Amino acid sequence: METAQPTKRRFGFHRWLIVALIVVSVFAVRAYAPIRPHVQVAPEAVLGPFKVPLLGEMYLTNTMISLLLVDLILLVLALAVRRAVKKGAPVLTGIAGLIETVIEALYNLAESTAGKSTRRIFPWMATIILVVLVANWSKLLPGVESIGWLHEAHGDVEGYPARELFRVGEVSVSAIELSGSEPASHSEGALYTVAPWVRGLPTDLNFTLALALISVVMTQVIGLTTAGPGYLGKFFNFGRFARMWTRKDLGPFEAIFPFLDIFVGILELVAEFAKIISFSFRLFGNLFAGAVLMVIVGTLVPVFLPSGVLLFELFVGLIQALVFGMLTLVFMSMATQLHGGGQEQEHGGAH
Amino acid sequence: MTPEVAQILVAGIVTGLKFLGAGLAMVGTLGAGLGIGLLGSGAVQGIARNPDAAGAIQINMILAIAFAEAVAIYALVVAMLILFVG
Repeated sequence: METAQPTKRRFGFHRWLIVALIVVSVFAVRAYAPIRPHVQVAPEAVLGPFKVPLLGEMYLTNTMISLLLVDLILLVLALAVRRAVKKGAPVLTGIAGLIETVIEALYNLAESTAGKSTRRIFPWMATIILVVLVANWSKLLPGVESIGWLHEAHGDVEGYPARELFRVGEVSVSAIELSGSEPASHSEGALYTVAPWVRGLPTDLNFTLALALISVVMTQVIGLTTAGPGYLGKFFNFGRFARMWTRKDLGPFEAIFPFLDIFVGILELVAEFAKIISFSFRLFGNLFAGAVLMVIVGTLVPVFLPSGVLLFELFVGLIQALVFGMLTLVFMSMATQLHGGGQEQEHGGAH
Repeated sequence: MTPEVAQILVAGIVTGLKFLGAGLAMVGTLGAGLGIGLLGSGAVQGIARNPDAAGAIQINMILAIAFAEAVAIYALVVAMLILFVG
C-alpha cells in the first residue's frame, strides 16, 4: 500500500488480460450462442462397440478417456517430483515443492486423526484425495464436455443445426449454432447433438462407485489386519448371546442385551453398505449438479456469470475431494481403533 | 376429443408431473439446510470460545456437514433421475 511496494505494478498485466477476456467473451457469445446440450446421466460412447470375449460388447466411453487423462496428469506430477528428489536439491522448488507442501499438509491431517496407524492409512487417503481433486478440476478445463462427435438428434432429444467450419482431409470440423431466436425445429436440415470426447470423470457413477468400493473394502481389510478376527465381532456380536445360556439366574436386562448386541451388529453391517451408497452418490451428485448448473447458467447468462460458477466449482471440487478423503481416513482410523474399545466393552459386560 | 389430442394432453400432463415431482423431491434439502446452519453456528460459537481449537473444530464441522449434505444430495439425485432418466 505505502512505500513497501513499487508503484509501477499498480496497473498489472493480469487484470487487463481478464478485462480483455470478458470483452472477447461478449463477442464470442454473439458469434456462437451457447446452446443447451442434452443432459444425460450415462456416459456417451466415443468408440465401439468392441467385441470382448466373456464380457460381450464394450464401449470406450468419454469418462474412460477422462480417467486416462487424470492418470496421465498424476503420473506426470509423480515423475516431476521423482526427478526433483533425485537431483538432490535441499529444498524442492516449483511443482515438486507444491506437491511436497500438499502431501505434508495431508500427512499432518492424517496423523492428527489416525495416530499410530497413519503409515497404513495415509496412502489410501492421499491417493483418493489426489485422484478426486484432479478429476474434479479436470472437468473445468476448456474443451471438456464441448468438443466431440456430432450425432444426429432423434427421439425427444433437442437438436441444433451445425455449420461446417473447415475440412481436414475427409474429416469435417463443424460448430453447432443456435439459428436465430426461434426454437430449433425439424423442418430444415439435420439437427445435431454433441457427444463429447472428454467428460468430467465424477459425472460418471461408475467412477465414484468404484472409489467408494475401494474405500469401504479397504477399511474392512485394514480393520481385519489390525484388530484380527475380532474385528468381525463388530458385525456378528454373539458373545453375550452364547454366554446367556450358561447363566442360571437371568435378570430382565441380561436377557435383553444379548439380542440388542445382535441387532446393533446387523445395523453396523447395514451401515457399511450405506457408506458405499452415500460415498458414491455424494461425489456423483455434487459434480453432476455442478455440470448441469454450468450448462444452464451458460445458456441463461452467457457472459460474466459462468466465471463465477467456475470459481464455485473449483471450491466444490476441492471440498468434495477433501470430504471423500477425510471420511475414508476417519472410517479407517475408527476401524483400527475398534479393537481396544471393543475389548473394554467386553470386560465391562463380564463384570 | 380425438385420440391425437388426448395423446398430446397425456404427454403434457406427464411432463408437468415430472417437473412437479422433481421439485417436490428437492423439499428434502430443507433438513440438510437446517442441519448445516446449526453445524456452522455451533462451530463458530466453539471457535469464538476457544480459538486454539479452531483446526479440530473445522475438521469435525466439515465432516458433519458432509453427512448432513449427503441427504440433500440424495434428494438432488432423485430429482435428476426423475428429470433426465426415463
